[in-house]
Amino acid sequence: MSARNESSIHEHRPLIFDATLTLLDRQVLDRNDEPVCTVDDLELSGDLHDGVEFPVGGPRPRITAILAGPVLVTRVFGGRPPRHLWERIDWGDVERVGVMVKLRLAAEALNVGWTESWLRERIITRIPGGRHESE
Amino acid sequence: MKKVLGLALGILTAIGGFVDIGDLVTNGVVGSRFGFGLAWSTLLGVVGICLFANMSGRVAAVSGRATFELIRERLGARVGLLNLVASFLINLMTLTAEIGGVALALMLASSVNYLLWVPVAALALWLVIWRVKFTVLENVTGLLGLCLIVFAVALFLLGPDWGEVVKQAVSPHLSQTESPATYWYYAVALFGAAMTPYEVFFFSSGAVEEKWSLKDLSQSRMNVLVGFPLGGLLSLAIAGCAAVFLMPKGIEVSSLSQLVLPVAAAGGKLAVAFVLVGLFAATFGAGLETTLSSGYTLAQFFGWSWGKFRSPARAARFHVSMMICLLVGIAVLMTGIDPVMVTEMSVVFSAAALPLTYFPILVVANDPDYMGQYVNSRLVNIAGQIFLVIVVAASLAAIPLMIITGAGK
Repeated sequence: MSARNESSIHEHRPLIFDATLTLLDRQVLDRNDEPVCTVDDLELSGDLHDGVEFPVGGPRPRITAILAGPVLVTRVFGGRPPRHLWERIDWGDVERVGVMVKLRLAAEALNVGWTESWLRERIITRIPGGRHESE
Repeated sequence: MKKVLGLALGILTAIGGFVDIGDLVTNGVVGSRFGFGLAWSTLLGVVGICLFANMSGRVAAVSGRATFELIRERLGARVGLLNLVASFLINLMTLTAEIGGVALALMLASSVNYLLWVPVAALALWLVIWRVKFTVLENVTGLLGLCLIVFAVALFLLGPDWGEVVKQAVSPHLSQTESPATYWYYAVALFGAAMTPYEVFFFSSGAVEEKWSLKDLSQSRMNVLVGFPLGGLLSLAIAGCAAVFLMPKGIEVSSLSQLVLPVAAAGGKLAVAFVLVGLFAATFGAGLETTLSSGYTLAQFFGWSWGKFRSPARAARFHVSMMICLLVGIAVLMTGIDPVMVTEMSVVFSAAALPLTYFPILVVANDPDYMGQYVNSRLVNIAGQIFLVIVVAASLAAIPLMIITGAGK
């Protein structure tokens, strides 16, 4: 395993990385190393619109959340999904950023995984053997 | 001793698992039309798949990441999504062809129309994916697929003039009825059939499924470097049987049953029994691989949990997407479309899509963030780049050649 750029984001010294390069499109894992989603987009503080520069000398933007789900469509085709459709993971729940992004929470505690749990309850567990490991 | 057995098992499954409906049909058609004149294309494809399967296996073992996760990370959302759409649709086409292949194999064995077998085949594929452990499904279909060795036996029994075979393979010349365009069209098709991208999706995801570590790498390398070339020889034997038996009679392969004719003539009923089991196992095994690959590509792109090592409840989206893909496959086949034609299309489109898979693998295999000290060696990189040129050339030529030749007619 390459652990070169594994780093805890809550260390005291500031961590410098290129968010587009090392954060976007990375796999997000929950507390138990179960895949949750990919980093489809990032939410920054100071809600700026596309094409608007951050003011020089003003407060620096901070990453406030990882976004997943519907924002992928708009990231590819342009536009923004309405706020109530955002699937957010609060940046405070991020434990580590490396080749993958690791969270402090279990997947069940996040609303990002609602399609997974919906399909699990509506379809998979209603088919015999759905809860069992393969034999 | 256990190690030796493991190695033997791995190699045998690699041989048996190498051939799928695309290889069967394309090699049969090519053998019956061009004799041994296109053997070089199969050999080239085998070298390519060895090189890149090995690379993707190493990436999976070192970084714990399967191919499509990396495609997304390296290419970004936009290009990655385009890649996903193309790769997924082509894989779906291959999956449809494999279901059709299973149904055709069952029809040969039972004389019941293949359309009745299609839903049965798809249901069986689903049941195995739902319940059977990864290693079991891989080993059983691989070992049964070894029955196809009967093609090699039949070739020897048919007793061609080996000097003439070598002459044909080394200096191919076209018969009166074939044009250079069809020759190159089938060269690309054979190359595509040998290097079908799902093999890499499946191989790298399988490495994650079986939790390969660096220690397992040398064994996987042996499996690939010994098993795939032997599987390639099997492909050549299929083409060879068609070349020796069907070509002189002027029969051009257009169905699976014609593929069996040379074996029946050479080896009688027993050989036919072997061929039928082999055809079933090869297409069924590839059906499992392509079904899983459709789930793998989607899940890895969107970051869902996936894998046979999880119970279906812990990989719900993965399993639901595979069910949908199987249903789509059934629906397409039920229109009465000729499965052999679907197969030929899938092989050519696979050839066109090759760079989409192989370029990102080459990039990641050189990225020290993922690979640490296990990045590609210089030699592998040189070979990889040479192959990338060939792959791009084949990909650019595939669709134009299909249009010019009217799909090889």
